[in-house]
Amino acid sequence: MYKLFLTLRYLRKRRIAYFAIAAVTLCVAMVLIVMSVMGGWLEMVKLRARGLLGDVIVDNKAFQGFPLYEEFIDEISGWPEIVKATPLVYSYGLFQFRQTLRDGTTQVIQDGMARVVGLRLEDVCEINAFKEGLFYEKHYPGTTHLGEQQQPLIGYDLAGDPIPLKDEDGAIFGYRRPILPPAYQAALAESQAQDVVDTESAEDENARFLEELGVPPMPGVYRIVDDFGPPRMAGDPRPGLILGRDIVAKRHSDGRHERHYPRGKMVTLTLWATAGHSVDPFPIKQPFRYADDSYTGIFEIDSQYVYCDFDHLQKLLEMDEADRIDRETGQVIGKAPARCSQIQIKITQRVDGKPVDPVALCRRLEELYHSYLSDERFQLDLTERKLITRVEAMTWQESQAHIIVPVEKEKILVTILFGIISLVAVALILCILYMIVLQKTRDIGVIKSIGGSSGGVAAIFITYGAAVGIAGAVLGTILGSLVVHYINDLQDALIWFHPSLRVWDPAVYSFDTIPSEVRTVDAVCIVAVAILASTVGSVAAAWRAGTMQPVEALRYE
Amino acid sequence: MGRTELRVLRDCSLSVADGEFVAVMGKSGSGKSTLLHILSALDVPQKGQVHFAGEPVFAPPVSRRLRTSITDVLSAAERRRNHLRRTQFGFVFQFYHLLPELNVLENVLIARMIDPSVLAWWSQGSAARGDATDILKRVGLSERLKHRPSELSGGECQRVAMARALVHKPKILFADEPTGNLDAEAGANIMALLAELHREGQTIVMVTHDPGIAQHADRILHLENGRLRPA
Repeated sequence: MYKLFLTLRYLRKRRIAYFAIAAVTLCVAMVLIVMSVMGGWLEMVKLRARGLLGDVIVDNKAFQGFPLYEEFIDEISGWPEIVKATPLVYSYGLFQFRQTLRDGTTQVIQDGMARVVGLRLEDVCEINAFKEGLFYEKHYPGTTHLGEQQQPLIGYDLAGDPIPLKDEDGAIFGYRRPILPPAYQAALAESQAQDVVDTESAEDENARFLEELGVPPMPGVYRIVDDFGPPRMAGDPRPGLILGRDIVAKRHSDGRHERHYPRGKMVTLTLWATAGHSVDPFPIKQPFRYADDSYTGIFEIDSQYVYCDFDHLQKLLEMDEADRIDRETGQVIGKAPARCSQIQIKITQRVDGKPVDPVALCRRLEELYHSYLSDERFQLDLTERKLITRVEAMTWQESQAHIIVPVEKEKILVTILFGIISLVAVALILCILYMIVLQKTRDIGVIKSIGGSSGGVAAIFITYGAAVGIAGAVLGTILGSLVVHYINDLQDALIWFHPSLRVWDPAVYSFDTIPSEVRTVDAVCIVAVAILASTVGSVAAAWRAGTMQPVEALRYE
Repeated sequence: MGRTELRVLRDCSLSVADGEFVAVMGKSGSGKSTLLHILSALDVPQKGQVHFAGEPVFAPPVSRRLRTSITDVLSAAERRRNHLRRTQFGFVFQFYHLLPELNVLENVLIARMIDPSVLAWWSQGSAARGDATDILKRVGLSERLKHRPSELSGGECQRVAMARALVHKPKILFADEPTGNLDAEAGANIMALLAELHREGQTIVMVTHDPGIAQHADRILHLENGRLRPA
């Protein structure tokens, strides 16, 4: 009993112990913050790598893509391991948003480089988590597509009863209820019936006005008719384009987004068909309509990627099927097969109760693709044969190893570095406890004179070290968790104070927010190591105290 | 203690009967305190043995280096000496040696905390607290239970030290110059307390250089040149 009693008393009365506790607290908090941010970053990198990919990716890392993908997909669709496979086309382009001035001319209000992805929306939504990041599809289910579309305009419900409002003089007048075109209004009602609430958008004037009218909110931004007429679809039909959210919206400090453009606004893509059949590539300018915006949380994706229909982009880039022309004679000598840049495949976890080995499956997929080189059904030219030779199948982890492995190593390195720095706390505890033992030498003699054993006296200082570790670890965990929890607010406050104080640059770390989640396993490990290190730091002092002879201790000056 | 080995005690033989009050006198540096420390198992003799109730207190002699090593920490001999100090012996120091972080009651109570575990303390704690309060009442400090040693006079500190030495009802009370650091009045009070304890049957071994103080004992011994002789 005396060990615990004296330990607690020394902790309370020896104020120097507070410095040891503070040192452990800071070290624990520091390591916890570093591990949480780095670990969170690693998890986000993995999620990013996983989120927009299939379980298996077939790619040849060539800008020109590779042919025979339809035949390949048809063939593997019969395999029991394959759930779904879909081709994609990747390219680069320039996007432009324009506005029309009063004199009828237009001017560019926003432009930038874009990574253009051609995809089959329904297939991709089955293969990965792309659909979960679509804003309008979430609130207006079934309305997002990449086909030809017009712009939906909010109009007024001319058939329904007007909403009574008061003007500035207090006179009551009827205000027609604003509504969307029927398909959109029905989709909105469907999502609202399922309690889908918009927590991602910043509050704007329109939302406040609708609230004042008592009309359910209409998430997103829509253009309103100019003539107080009914809702309608307006403008020329154009293919739909899904844009990364950071292209069309501004992120506020609370994480919500404020959209700049109404849904259905025209956006022009300028592409360069370098992978096409043409000998001399030329720029292609194509108008689209802003159909939806996609949010992954990954800055470099959300600020650069735009998505359009696979077949449309393939055609624009001249990667579709075309006549094969003899360059010498100019005559058509056959058909050049269509090409894609990548195939994403979703696989099942088990077949006949046995787990599927994705790596072995990749080897089989590669073998199948390479077997097309000797397949007499296909007439391939030299370039196409080279493109197929380079086709590789890999798991999503393999395909992203070049991103994940360096981040994993960086996390380990930083954790080790901060762990070494934390050894300072151990040294501090050692010094403080040794000092306390020297100060308490007579007390040690007294305790031994009343029957305290050497082990018991040593245990007082071991317990003391452990108690310092426990107190420091608990406080450090609380401090670290609070900092991690509010880390984005802290950064926003720093940026508000001065923009140069930004510590997390989305352009550098890929994500627009700092990871702010403490993993329990990290916290438990850090707490355990802190307590162990503090206890180890007390061993030398405890040893000296324990081996001291009572008379020697009592005579100590 | 130092690097030069001193032979302080030689051919010393002392037998103390149950209930006896023995005073050991001698000049400063004659080895009185060393004798008391060895008798009370606070120090280990290089040669010789101390018997308590017919049982040897010390293990066969070992080198000092070994004595301060882990073997000693875990040895049965040390466990026996600890047990004796905890249950059979009480020790009063000249300089009181109270723990400054503890108040009066806690300084006494600590002697009862050595044995029980934390769990056992739940059941034994209140009884021990009662014993400590009683003994402090007896030494006249019932009003000072919550005071710290720094708030007490020298005489009061020594009475707390006596209460600490007596709280576990030891067979033998060892007192090393118990009045050596006190004024005459405080010293007289302490001696009156020791005399009263002796009348109640407490065995006491006291060292002092003051003949007046030694007069309270049943038997007075002189320590000269490391040897004990009757006064």
